[in-house]
Amino acid sequence: MKAALVGAGQIARQHLACLKALPGVELAAICDLSPATAEAAAERYGIRAWFTDHRAMLEKARPGVVHVTTPPASHFGLAMDSFDAGAHVIVEKPATSTFEELETLVRRAQEAGRHLVEDHNYVFNHAPQEILRRIRSGQFGAVTHVEVLVCLDILGPNGFADPNSPHPALTLAGGAIADFLPHLASLAHLFVGPHRTAQTVWTKRKPSPLPFDEFRGVVDAERGTAALGFSSSSQPDAFWLRVYGERMQATANLFETRLTFDGPRNVPKPLRPFFSGLEEGKTVRRAALATLLRKFKGPGAYEGLWELLARTYRALADGSALPVTVCHILAVNRMVEALKPREQPP
Amino acid sequence: MRALVTGANGFLGRHVVAALLARGTEVRAMVRPAASLEALGWPSSVEVFRADLRTSRELRRAFEGVDVLLHLAAVVSGGEDAQFAATVAGTERLLDAMATSACRRLVLCSSFSVYDYSSTRRTLDEGSPLHQVPDVYTRDGYTISKWWQERVTRRFVAKHGWDVTVLRPGFIWGRDHGYLSALGQQLGRHQLVVGPLTRIPMTHVENCADVFALAAVDARAQGQTLNVVDGPGERIWSYLSDHMRGSGQPGWRLPVPYWLAIWVVRLAFATVFKRATKVPSVLIPRRLESRLKPLRFENRRLRETLDWTPPLDYQQCLARTYGPAAPRRAGR
Repeated sequence: MKAALVGAGQIARQHLACLKALPGVELAAICDLSPATAEAAAERYGIRAWFTDHRAMLEKARPGVVHVTTPPASHFGLAMDSFDAGAHVIVEKPATSTFEELETLVRRAQEAGRHLVEDHNYVFNHAPQEILRRIRSGQFGAVTHVEVLVCLDILGPNGFADPNSPHPALTLAGGAIADFLPHLASLAHLFVGPHRTAQTVWTKRKPSPLPFDEFRGVVDAERGTAALGFSSSSQPDAFWLRVYGERMQATANLFETRLTFDGPRNVPKPLRPFFSGLEEGKTVRRAALATLLRKFKGPGAYEGLWELLARTYRALADGSALPVTVCHILAVNRMVEALKPREQPP
Repeated sequence: MRALVTGANGFLGRHVVAALLARGTEVRAMVRPAASLEALGWPSSVEVFRADLRTSRELRRAFEGVDVLLHLAAVVSGGEDAQFAATVAGTERLLDAMATSACRRLVLCSSFSVYDYSSTRRTLDEGSPLHQVPDVYTRDGYTISKWWQERVTRRFVAKHGWDVTVLRPGFIWGRDHGYLSALGQQLGRHQLVVGPLTRIPMTHVENCADVFALAAVDARAQGQTLNVVDGPGERIWSYLSDHMRGSGQPGWRLPVPYWLAIWVVRLAFATVFKRATKVPSVLIPRRLESRLKPLRFENRRLRETLDWTPPLDYQQCLARTYGPAAPRRAGR
């Protein structure tokens, strides 16, 4: 299958590294507004052709799948053109700047008989998938609540809060934090389903070009509740996922390999915390070593993206169900819409 | 003559501005929008142009009335993609703007990092091999960006028939920049000195700035590619000693022969790390070579082309870097 990318920046590197390792995928073309950026990516990953005009790329390379890895505001137009050229589209999150654009995109994909996949990469990390496996096996019990909290310093001058060059994510409602809402919503959706209502708190605690630097949300969903959050101030950086089931509870840090479970044990009840603590300690030590080793090689925290792309290309090849369906994308983005700030920052 | 200087408030840029002014050249200093300039003490004759090469739309105006561009701007920290976007894509945008102007002369600040140290034997000079595709992509983000910046610039020069001087400084040192990555590996307060007798390809920031100002105005520099080092360079052990005394930094120096370090790193790279490129640079053989390989460094072409000698000798450079109480070595 011929794959092409529009956008050769930081996240494109993760897509390219994965695609290069996927069997049956040919890296046919890459496009970036900067000729040097496009050419460098082509040289590094052995891509046959590079372009600075995506329409020229679609016409000449005729890719079967287009990965849209540009800043969010450009996703809609690039994805529409890719559908018009007969390609499936894998688009980075957030798929579009507004829900109306997403609905238009979904309609266009259906008219063209093509697929749209949004990158919900953290859903496919090992930890959420292992929790999901235990839920499906029945040992976890029904999920009652999920907590997702991202602690990430985005106030430094070299990223989202660059005082010299406004970050593209600042065009989104909610600013830089809105760039992370699809992660929070996709994980909440995975464990408790589509949302019914949502309450949010958006605040700005520190001076920066960002409109908000803290976010909390409580979601009432079809199968349970979710508490979602983003903190720019809490350190160290972490991506906490806690899932509460009727028989077990799971805790994971998706920036690392840490995943622990706590559940029933065949010991007297007063001794359960003691044995749980021993086992948790052992698991955390093992995860510490695994986290260190994965820094040397492989996708690291982007392991979910690699898994998502592998499953997507398998599904496109054999016609089976996609790992991220249009129903998922719409439900997740409805939740994202409900979480967005209703008012501009003071 | 009017010169446009990018990265004008950077470590090298601020000294280049001073050197240009000293030669009577008018200066338009390009700095980022949020840059603070009060501490620089620039005279009112310096025209400040605020822009970010990554995003500013008004770069054309920067070239109005400009005779020569001194392109020093580069991002030297952060991730590889951030460095590439700012240094390389920023250069593309800058030179696109220059192509719409009457300015036809530029001086590029390249780097020693464009040389392939692994393929260089004994002496590194302007004729030494450069990195090649795809090997260059196994190097660090700074090397990739500077290599690409020079590549992009030469393409623009060829396309538009401009006059170019490419200056490739070695390690630039000066006040608040006395510690160099050529000194080995820091271990807390202590220092692992790999190849203590190796000479460092170094240039003091004021000497280096003098070369840039000279190249901007001297017709003999046109079309030249010149390495910028003050001379054969100090030995790592003795410079580190001067640095530790000058900066008052305590700690031990542990000497390790270069041949031992490179073989240990090669062995570990092939076995323990299985050729992973995400390990620290000092554990990747080719990156270690580019920091520490014992070579001779020459500035013969620079001296002969521009008849240049460093305005400051080593002792004066130490005094400028560490203050009047700087270490002085007998017999120098």
